[in-house]
Amino acid sequence: MADTILALDAGPVPRPRSQMVATGFAVAGFAMMMAGALGWYMALRHASVSPGHDWIPDGVAVPNPQFDYALLTLVVSVITAHWAVYASRRGERGHTWLAIAVTIVMGLGFINMVIFSMNRMEIEIGSGQWQNLAFAITGLALALVVIGLFYLGLMALRSLGGSMGRDGTAPLSAAVFFWDFVVIAWTATWYAIYVVK
Amino acid sequence: MSETTSDTADMSTTTVTTEDPTPFGWLNTADHKRVGRLFIVTSLMMLALGVLLDALVRLDLTDDADHVLLDGSSFAQVFAWSRESLVLLFLIPIFLGVAMYIVPLQVGATNLAFPRAATASFWTWLVSGGVLIGAYLGNGGPYGGWSDGVDLHLLALGGLVLALLMGAINVATTILTHRSRGMFLDRSSPFAWSMLVTASMLVVSLPVLFGQLAILYVDHRYGRVFLGGNGGIWERIDWIYEAPQLFIYTVPVLGIVAEVVLGSLRKKVFEPLAMYFTIGLVGLFGFGAWANFSITNEGTDLADGFEGIVLVGMYGGATVGILGLLALIGFAAFQSRKNLPKPTAALLAAFGAGQLMLLAAIYGLVGAGVDWLEIVGRGNDGNPYLRDTTWVTGQQSVLIYGAAFLGIVSALHWWAPKIWGRSLDNMMGMLSFLLVAVGATLATVGPAIAGAFAETPDFVYADANATSLYSDWVDASSGPGMAWLGLIGILVAGAGMIVLKVNLLISIVLKKGTEADANPWNGIAPEWMLDSPPALGPLSELRDLDSGMPLLDAALEAEDVDEEVTV
Repeated sequence: MADTILALDAGPVPRPRSQMVATGFAVAGFAMMMAGALGWYMALRHASVSPGHDWIPDGVAVPNPQFDYALLTLVVSVITAHWAVYASRRGERGHTWLAIAVTIVMGLGFINMVIFSMNRMEIEIGSGQWQNLAFAITGLALALVVIGLFYLGLMALRSLGGSMGRDGTAPLSAAVFFWDFVVIAWTATWYAIYVVK
Repeated sequence: MSETTSDTADMSTTTVTTEDPTPFGWLNTADHKRVGRLFIVTSLMMLALGVLLDALVRLDLTDDADHVLLDGSSFAQVFAWSRESLVLLFLIPIFLGVAMYIVPLQVGATNLAFPRAATASFWTWLVSGGVLIGAYLGNGGPYGGWSDGVDLHLLALGGLVLALLMGAINVATTILTHRSRGMFLDRSSPFAWSMLVTASMLVVSLPVLFGQLAILYVDHRYGRVFLGGNGGIWERIDWIYEAPQLFIYTVPVLGIVAEVVLGSLRKKVFEPLAMYFTIGLVGLFGFGAWANFSITNEGTDLADGFEGIVLVGMYGGATVGILGLLALIGFAAFQSRKNLPKPTAALLAAFGAGQLMLLAAIYGLVGAGVDWLEIVGRGNDGNPYLRDTTWVTGQQSVLIYGAAFLGIVSALHWWAPKIWGRSLDNMMGMLSFLLVAVGATLATVGPAIAGAFAETPDFVYADANATSLYSDWVDASSGPGMAWLGLIGILVAGAGMIVLKVNLLISIVLKKGTEADANPWNGIAPEWMLDSPPALGPLSELRDLDSGMPLLDAALEAEDVDEEVTV
């Protein structure tokens, strides 16, 4: 009688989660960068205006609807980004690509909306303390959005190359994790600079 | 603490890369050993620049009536340049370089987590460093007269920060995710652990500088509206060159001390967890330097003494951490008192580095305590705070010229056989140790006394010209003499590092050093299980590693078996 193999083979060894951990470190670093910049902004604001008053220069109006729509676009893009992860885990290639594409389009739309809003405010860089801070910190936040889009785009290419399924989604998850952070970073920037003013 | 796995066998077959053995291979290498060597050698070259510039600064302080070689604005520029060179072009990158070489071997990884990113970080660092030097040479940098050069300096600093962050994230990720199966974090080598602490702290502190640089750049480039143009830059970014932030960069020294002393003793500390805790404590208490009031230009009088209390707490915590670690190592040495190792350059330098780390923490504690008492009005004699005097320079000296230099002397003597395959000359190493130890002491004592008793200003932000013209300060009678002492100190310490470089040249480049076998020190850490130096490309020999001291574990197991057989 042939020997019966009772034990199952060992399962596959888990892949190193390097990309997610490195993304976590990057998120921590960028969070400190934004917190530092916004903290500086708030401290200078505190020193410059009395409580209850706006720091924004007279005659400059923040186009609230545009900024609100921009934020809304970014928040919705979080849903589509997670849709991409969900679809990728299930191996649904078409859904994954569609979700990433929609996320990237919304991200580009967001950048367009923010630049449009700043143009509409007709503020000039170098014309005052608030203006310079607003340009610098908004620029940092937009740079994060660009990095996030680039990261998502890169991971989309990886998905295109077949990195999908339960094990293959980790890189895309890391990119989406970064995207989540980008949205939080922009929300904090928007609130501090364009709502609290 | 979590357990992680290394690359699987299948994965390793897909990640094997062929290293080009020709010199061109250094340009696009994906091997952690090559990138590590690039960082180490280049940082050592950059060190000469930092010491030379610092010597010019200190020479200028030897005359209390006028500048010596520099003038008002060039003094300020050289002052800033010297600090940036010592920290961003030497201190952080050299420890990253040692870590990039050694840490993967210590945790049983086949390579760094992101080998190409490591190469990118080196070249970005080098190019940014070159741009930084170019900006200063063209009369840029803080207080510079060339407007575009000032902007260029800010961009170069941004590039340096990004490069060092890439390297730090790479090292930290390697330790967290590429440890071999069974290698828990609390079993890893002390140096690997210290690099995890320092890399993590770099990741959460240097980006704050990056945010500041962005704002400074926009304001300086466009209108110079509120930050005071080229004169308002340095006071907002100098926190990265001073304690307590300096402690973050020098945490690896503690790892080196533990690694070299315990390796020489062939002994573990009686409570390894306490060792990891104390090293972590020093990193933790070095964090938060960016939160000082001078950054926003508000509350520079240390409002309510709050910052004073925080600084006392930070230095107190660092002191406890370092003292705890040294006590643990000291106890291990006491337990081995009948079998103490022969003193080597690596061991002596490690011993000295540990003592100077402790001195730096106590020094900071005393300074912060005195300032705090001044702030709250007890004992206030109307004198400037110690933090505004060369007392600060003394603390920088004990950390950079003292602990860090000795840490590097120790690390390079200890790991040279593994990195280059040849041992460094021990007598020259002893000379390096002696010169650095004496020089660092003088470099610390001079400015410390000048700051504490003559109140020599470290730097005057508002008027750079006033820095060496400090006759209107309270008492400058002994300032110049002490400044001479500090100058002689850094020159002697610098000479110690030149001896180290000559040693490297003779022993490694000219191949006069003894060819090393796999374990020339009879060490206990995993890297000593590999050839000296290990072959280029990913390594898989340490995949089943489950301890940071496998050779000691094996020896102890063998002793147990012998005892059982005897019984």
